[in-house]
Amino acid sequence: MDLATLTGQLRALRDEALPRIGAAPDLAALEELDVAYLGRKGGALSGLMRGIGQLPPEDRPRVGLLVNEVREAVEGALANARERAAGAALAGRLVAETVDVTTPGRPVARGSLHPIQETIGRIAEIFGQFGFVSYEGPEIESDATNFRMLNIPPDHPARDLWDTLYVDIDGGLLRTHTSPGQIRVMHAETPPIRALLPGRCFRYEAVDAAHASEFFQVEGLMVDEGTTLADLRGLLDEFAHAMFGAGRATRFRPGYYPFTEPSVAFDVGCLVCGGSGCPACGRTGWMTILGAGMVHPVVLQYGGIDPERFQGFAFGMGVERIAMLRHGIADVRIFLDNDLRFLEQFR
Amino acid sequence: MRVPLGWLRDYVHFDLAPDALAERLTLLGFEVKGLERWGAEWRNVVVGELLTVEKHPRADRLSLTTVRVGPGEPLQIVCGARNIAPGQRVPVALPGALLPGNRAIERTEKMGIVSNGMLCSGDELRLSVDGEGILILPADTIVGTALTDLYGDWVLDVDVKPNRGDALCLVGLAREVAAATGGVARFPVVALREDGPPIGDVLGVTVEDPELCPRFVARRVDGVRVAPSPEHVQRRLLAAGMRPVSNVVDATNFVMLELGKPTHAFDAACVARDASGRAVLVVRTARDGERLETLDHVARTLTPDTLLIADADGPLAIAGVMGGAASEVGAATQDVIIESAVFDPVSIRRTAFRYALRSEASLRFEKGQESRLARIGADRVAELIVAWSGGRAASGRVDTDPDESAPARVGYRPARVDRLLGTDLGPEAQAALLARVGIGTEPSMPGSEIVIAAGSMPLSVHAAPGEARDAVVPSWRRDILVEADLAEEVVRLAGYETVVGKTPDTAMPHVRPNPLELRDALRAALAGAGLTEVVTPALVAPGQAAALGWPVLAADGVAGEIAIDGPAVTVTNPLSERHSVLRSGLVGSLLDVLALNERHGRGDVAIFEVGKGYAKAPDGAPAEWWRLGLLLAGSSGAPAWNRPARPYDLDDAKGIVELLARVLSRSEPVWSPYTDGAPLHPGRAARATAPGSLAGIVGELHPSVLATWDLRTERVLVAELAIRGLSAGQLPPVRVTPVGRAQPAERDLALVVAEGVPAADLAATLRSAAGERLRELALFDIYRGAPLAPGEKSLAWRVVFAADERVLADDEVDAEVARLISAAVAAHGARLRS
Ligand SMILES: [Zn+2]
Repeated sequence: MDLATLTGQLRALRDEALPRIGAAPDLAALEELDVAYLGRKGGALSGLMRGIGQLPPEDRPRVGLLVNEVREAVEGALANARERAAGAALAGRLVAETVDVTTPGRPVARGSLHPIQETIGRIAEIFGQFGFVSYEGPEIESDATNFRMLNIPPDHPARDLWDTLYVDIDGGLLRTHTSPGQIRVMHAETPPIRALLPGRCFRYEAVDAAHASEFFQVEGLMVDEGTTLADLRGLLDEFAHAMFGAGRATRFRPGYYPFTEPSVAFDVGCLVCGGSGCPACGRTGWMTILGAGMVHPVVLQYGGIDPERFQGFAFGMGVERIAMLRHGIADVRIFLDNDLRFLEQFR
Repeated sequence: MRVPLGWLRDYVHFDLAPDALAERLTLLGFEVKGLERWGAEWRNVVVGELLTVEKHPRADRLSLTTVRVGPGEPLQIVCGARNIAPGQRVPVALPGALLPGNRAIERTEKMGIVSNGMLCSGDELRLSVDGEGILILPADTIVGTALTDLYGDWVLDVDVKPNRGDALCLVGLAREVAAATGGVARFPVVALREDGPPIGDVLGVTVEDPELCPRFVARRVDGVRVAPSPEHVQRRLLAAGMRPVSNVVDATNFVMLELGKPTHAFDAACVARDASGRAVLVVRTARDGERLETLDHVARTLTPDTLLIADADGPLAIAGVMGGAASEVGAATQDVIIESAVFDPVSIRRTAFRYALRSEASLRFEKGQESRLARIGADRVAELIVAWSGGRAASGRVDTDPDESAPARVGYRPARVDRLLGTDLGPEAQAALLARVGIGTEPSMPGSEIVIAAGSMPLSVHAAPGEARDAVVPSWRRDILVEADLAEEVVRLAGYETVVGKTPDTAMPHVRPNPLELRDALRAALAGAGLTEVVTPALVAPGQAAALGWPVLAADGVAGEIAIDGPAVTVTNPLSERHSVLRSGLVGSLLDVLALNERHGRGDVAIFEVGKGYAKAPDGAPAEWWRLGLLLAGSSGAPAWNRPARPYDLDDAKGIVELLARVLSRSEPVWSPYTDGAPLHPGRAARATAPGSLAGIVGELHPSVLATWDLRTERVLVAELAIRGLSAGQLPPVRVTPVGRAQPAERDLALVVAEGVPAADLAATLRSAAGERLRELALFDIYRGAPLAPGEKSLAWRVVFAADERVLADDEVDAEVARLISAAVAAHGARLRS
């Protein structure tokens, strides 16, 4: 073995290896080539290196340099090729993993809150910003709490306003409105009072698209030394704007309830026609959304509050009415039917 | 109340279009609910002149007429009426006309002769009740005029509130229109010619019960001719919604609509006379067993508290409610007695309810009547009867209490009025406003009383010097009793819209806990978990509880949420049997919802409700309590292409309850078998208990219940839970357990036990055997079958141990596990599955 032969063989090895590496189809083939050329035991380069010992000592450094040069060339080629192959493999995988991205996603189960409850929540949130907190009273009330303490004596003609369901408990009836709660709150708290009373009410009323015998109301009560009708107007305007939009027109007009004096009916501009007049608003351009008024001195006294010192207002609204206007619902019966095709629209 | 504007104009002048007037009245507290064009139905009906009237050549009972309705050719019209003659003006319905009741008029052929329209009777046009003859119009009516222009009117439907009985009439509303427009209301001036005998010679009245009849005024008109009223009167009554009857009866109805004064006319021949020949009326309560046939021809047995108008022979009328058939004014009546009385409102209201006879008259009486109107009403009715029916009015009237009291004085403090309203009107502006409805104001006497509240809770104060004024209230305004009533009157007349709103600037209350917080949190958790909230009727059918047999869970262990297993609360006047009993629980209502949705083809139902149960407590008092109910049926979520449907099972329901327990108290409920049977599947029902915070029953419904509810689905999972704080409560704050830094040690442990050993019991044993290092104990597999013996099962648990700040050594963990195994062996005969 002479110098020329060995260097020739080394160069030949390099010249053979580099194209084969470049042409290797995948990582496995590169692995084979790595072993074949650079393998510590059976690799071609190792085989040639055994020839170095047969050379004269003065030639060995030059060959050593050449061996390193060849190894680096082959290693570099392998590294480059491996990188390319890995990239190609990944790209291939990604192509293989392509899906039809236009198919629907996997459904996530989500329920919904009932629109009556959702509306009560919205009302409470709006008045909550003014310091109103919820209270509750029983649904089985008595003639005293549902009527007499609210300044509606027995045989008063105003009783025609509340057709009542009576129960087989002495003096018992199903509350026709949330107003009895006013008395309870006045007893439980001392002014300043700001209270909301949501809840279920009952009337002896034939059921049709506009009337239900079970329905929900939210009562409001505010009592303090200087609480005025002007405060009521201001607060109801805020409510109407929050519930039905900032630009919504409002109207304050006389109403009648025995437990308020003065009594108020509160209208908003028709949500269907915007005020120009349509069948939905009886061509008046207005829709009544609640009744209200300054708490009658008789009622304040039944609540244990001195009407000379304190005054306040109360309001009561039908939850279904608000929800119907807000969500465009035409028939009140849909609320207690619980048809899921209706309810799931609130998801 | 229906208000024809043409009639209203008799009493007040106004320059407002009907819709503008309607708005003004609404803003004054008299809401106009409807605005109707009276006569809008007379499309294509015009005034015609009869030129010729001849016999129809082929039909004896028909006439052949020619009618001029304008400048063109006269029309040939066939007519069946007999009251027509050439020269008369009559209403002609032209072809294309549409009469009331959607009756279309076309060109027709009658017995071979073409008829180009129809001559109309008053009844066909709803202008009078005469359906026999053609309506003959005044001779000077202009031919060709549309009937709408002649007799059309606007009719307002005004909602008069119960406190304003004074305005339940045209004169009363005219006062309000005058107040709104600054005009003057004109009261009708009564001019009655009294050329009959002195009243004392022909009529006597005895009031036995002046409490129930404080004033009784009567008049008598003899020699009347009962006939239809003048047509203009009939038109007005019809427009106001009242059917004309006869000139005498119409006079009473006319005055009721005009003045708000109900009166009654008796046929004097039917009233018993005393020895001197006077007819004598007696006002008294009924005697036991007395009977009366009322005008509606119903024979009624009277109860003793019924106030009557009677004579010596017995009852003639139920006072203020309905007259009697025997003394009714009819075609043969010659002499008429007019009753115009004031009755006790409460007595009238009760009587009207008792006999289910709430009439226009009783509605007015029960709102209270101004005493003065008794006199005026009698005079006005007598005047109209004389005018429309002839006859001679006896001179003078019988009057049991001619003293008409002075106007009431109601003290008020102008500063308090402004304080209540939040306005700055001042005394003079307030007085000017009150004057618009005839309320005068004067300075009060020093130290005079101000009535703050009346009725069942009266309160008066003494005004400071110079602070108060007296309102002098007209006698008809019986609704103004206390200071606040005057405040309302002031702001009503100023216009509610003049109150400038402001957001409240008074002191805020202290922060208070929201009683709905916990309820809302659970509702949100359930909705987030895929359940739809329902709200169902609390009133259910009486058989529902028995059909279901759901136990009322007293829940003594859940503070503040105790239920009563007592008799149902029953509605005594239900609208329908289906909604006549207050429910004791929620599950029946949830089944109703499932049934409804199944009928709509929807079987996958996951719903919940937070609602009340109701019952009577042992002492008879009503009890109400809150429960949370849920129901799962069908599949969990609609199947999708990438997710198969999975039927709901008991574990889904239990998982939801576990979720609630975690939200409530960060704890797991304990499950134990529910063994009380119906209405639940005997092998698939459990009690859930999270001590102190939750108790309830979760299970699969018994198939027989599904059959009772006619359900198609095979399995329904339900739960009803008592939850502490559901009635009123807040969520407790989360208390954090320190998160250890050291890696926990995890082992799996499969224990073989007999089939009858409940997993919860084994879990409880393992938990109590483990020390404080146990972090987690979770059942991850249950295995039955070879190589286990029949009747055995293997429960595989993942157990996690950790110490706070260091990694546990293997032998420490082994010791923990060994403790668990030996406890399981000891308590349940368990063995380790190898
Ligand atoms: Zn509208």
